[in-house]
Amino acid sequence: MKNPKPPELARHRRERLWMMLQLLPVFSVLTILFGGALVLAVLQSLGFAPWFGVNTFPDFSYFGALWGSYSFWQSLALTLYYALMATFISLVMGVLLALAMVRMFPGKSLYKYLYKLPLMIPYTVGIALAVIMLGNGGMLSRLAAFAGLISDPSEFPQILKTHYGWGIIAVYVWKQAPFVTLTIYAVLLGVGRETEEAATILGASRWQTFFQVTLPQILPGIVSSTLIIFAFNIGAFEAPFILGGGYPDTLPVVAWRYFNDADYTLQLQGMATVVSIALIASGILFTYLALYRRYERRIGRN
Amino acid sequence: MTKVQLKGVRKDFGAFTAIENIDLEIASGELVALLGPSGCGKTTTLRMISGLEVPSFGSILFDDKDVSEVPVQDRNVGMVFQRYALFPHMSVEKNVAFGLKVRGTPRPEIEERLQEILDVVQLNEFRHRFPAQLSGGQMQRVAIARTLITKPSVLMMDEPLANLDTKLRGEMRRFIRALQKRLGITTIFVTHDQVEAMELADRVAVIFDGHLAQYDAPDALYQRPNSIKIADFMGATNIFTAKVDASGQAQTSFTTLKLGPDEIGQGSRNASVILRSEVIDLLLTAEEAPADNTFAGVVTAREFFGATVNYSVTCGDEKIIVTEQSRRLVEIGQQVWLNIQPDRIWLIPEAA
Repeated sequence: MKNPKPPELARHRRERLWMMLQLLPVFSVLTILFGGALVLAVLQSLGFAPWFGVNTFPDFSYFGALWGSYSFWQSLALTLYYALMATFISLVMGVLLALAMVRMFPGKSLYKYLYKLPLMIPYTVGIALAVIMLGNGGMLSRLAAFAGLISDPSEFPQILKTHYGWGIIAVYVWKQAPFVTLTIYAVLLGVGRETEEAATILGASRWQTFFQVTLPQILPGIVSSTLIIFAFNIGAFEAPFILGGGYPDTLPVVAWRYFNDADYTLQLQGMATVVSIALIASGILFTYLALYRRYERRIGRN
Repeated sequence: MTKVQLKGVRKDFGAFTAIENIDLEIASGELVALLGPSGCGKTTTLRMISGLEVPSFGSILFDDKDVSEVPVQDRNVGMVFQRYALFPHMSVEKNVAFGLKVRGTPRPEIEERLQEILDVVQLNEFRHRFPAQLSGGQMQRVAIARTLITKPSVLMMDEPLANLDTKLRGEMRRFIRALQKRLGITTIFVTHDQVEAMELADRVAVIFDGHLAQYDAPDALYQRPNSIKIADFMGATNIFTAKVDASGQAQTSFTTLKLGPDEIGQGSRNASVILRSEVIDLLLTAEEAPADNTFAGVVTAREFFGATVNYSVTCGDEKIIVTEQSRRLVEIGQQVWLNIQPDRIWLIPEAA
């Protein structure tokens, strides 16, 4: 290679500098708002909060207190259970819907608008709908009583406010299955029907075609959409707060309770909870991505 | 070796009729092209033979057995898609072995047949590559190998040469032709390009608007089309209306043409004459021309294609295209004489 001459080097440097300059606004927003908040949260969770008159920095006593209690692990298990269950059900339903959407069926154009509706409605409205529909004394219980399936609406099985969390999962799935559908549908449109048809002609059954041909091609869409909804589910607060079964609460609700306590020094405990959620969530998502990368490398994709 | 028959096949998509009553018979081991403009229903026909679509009416027979209701997986046909439809997440060998793997063929046999077919398509050194790392011609060979390894009774191809450049096209054409001859497999392919159909096929089925317009050998289709529409589609440029009389003379607006012996004594009628541009001789002097079927004109345009040259010659009110090997170049504005042999003129009756 030829050595670059000084004027070329200078031009190159100028171009780099200009690029950095252009990136500056977004960098500063990211560093100050996101990074700053993160650093503050970590500092507080380690005992640094002189404005509350607390400064034991740095020690892990808040984490110790949190992780030492049995209820933390109960809360963690519940949080993971709601998040994973909702993500899994949304994924299966979303993929099935997306597969249906690339085929022809009567009323498809209407359905294409209909399924996106939950995406435009806020979670809180979904929660309200869940209360109206699924609660004891809700629409479903009244309908069941009216149909004679149960003698009184109060006998309707408890769906909300239990630790099975069906209400929470229902709200998440209601909102997130369309999101998965939207993502996978777009990927499927890009992939096209031809590889599926080729597989069928080569003698593959429906299952073989789906698992060996379609699924590997939509996997990037599956990974990115589940990543997004799982990250939301693990940190979401309103649904478990309103529809959950009370103590033990999910971790975000636990954190909220600390923040809302009259004893403001408990805020540091809340920060330790928040940082724990962040650590656990990023640990899981990182493992998930690493596994996916390993799969991609195994099939030879770079 | 399978004979394929379509009997009164019709396909409706809702209110739209893609194929209207097609009868077609493809002999065992024959290479047939389905030719037509885009949207004429040729791909639908192919998809019905493969089983990807079920005919609305009529039946499809393989060796006289009705297979119209046999699901795709069990029909044992092969299809090479226009954009190859290779599995992007599988290497070449996994792509090729797929058909055997899903049928539960034992591993040693898969290995053996894989090796055999990779040798046939000359892709052995690329077996660990992925489709994205292959050229167009290589991808097509993978697609062909992937199909042939399952030993299909009928091979189908959708526009097999359309995505290839000129040089590769000739190579693939010879490859497909040689392979087809060697395996003797009944092959049907779809194309909108009459050159592609003629260079590959034993017989060509021309489909217009869901109807089978003509089914014939390439040379017959080219030289003796049964309608003006087909003549036009096959690239004929010089089509003129004429009055034909009982003595076998065709009166056109620019000259009177003597026809071949077949046309004598059939009574007078209106017809169209087709003068294929390459059978017209272009002469620079009247003396060297035969007395019959010679008429004068002026060269008004010239198109140079390398091996051939096209001249537009204005005769009376008509423009006649003449194609010549480019051994000489005639200047624009030159007075010329055109001659055509009587038996080279093709006549289409007016109704057609």
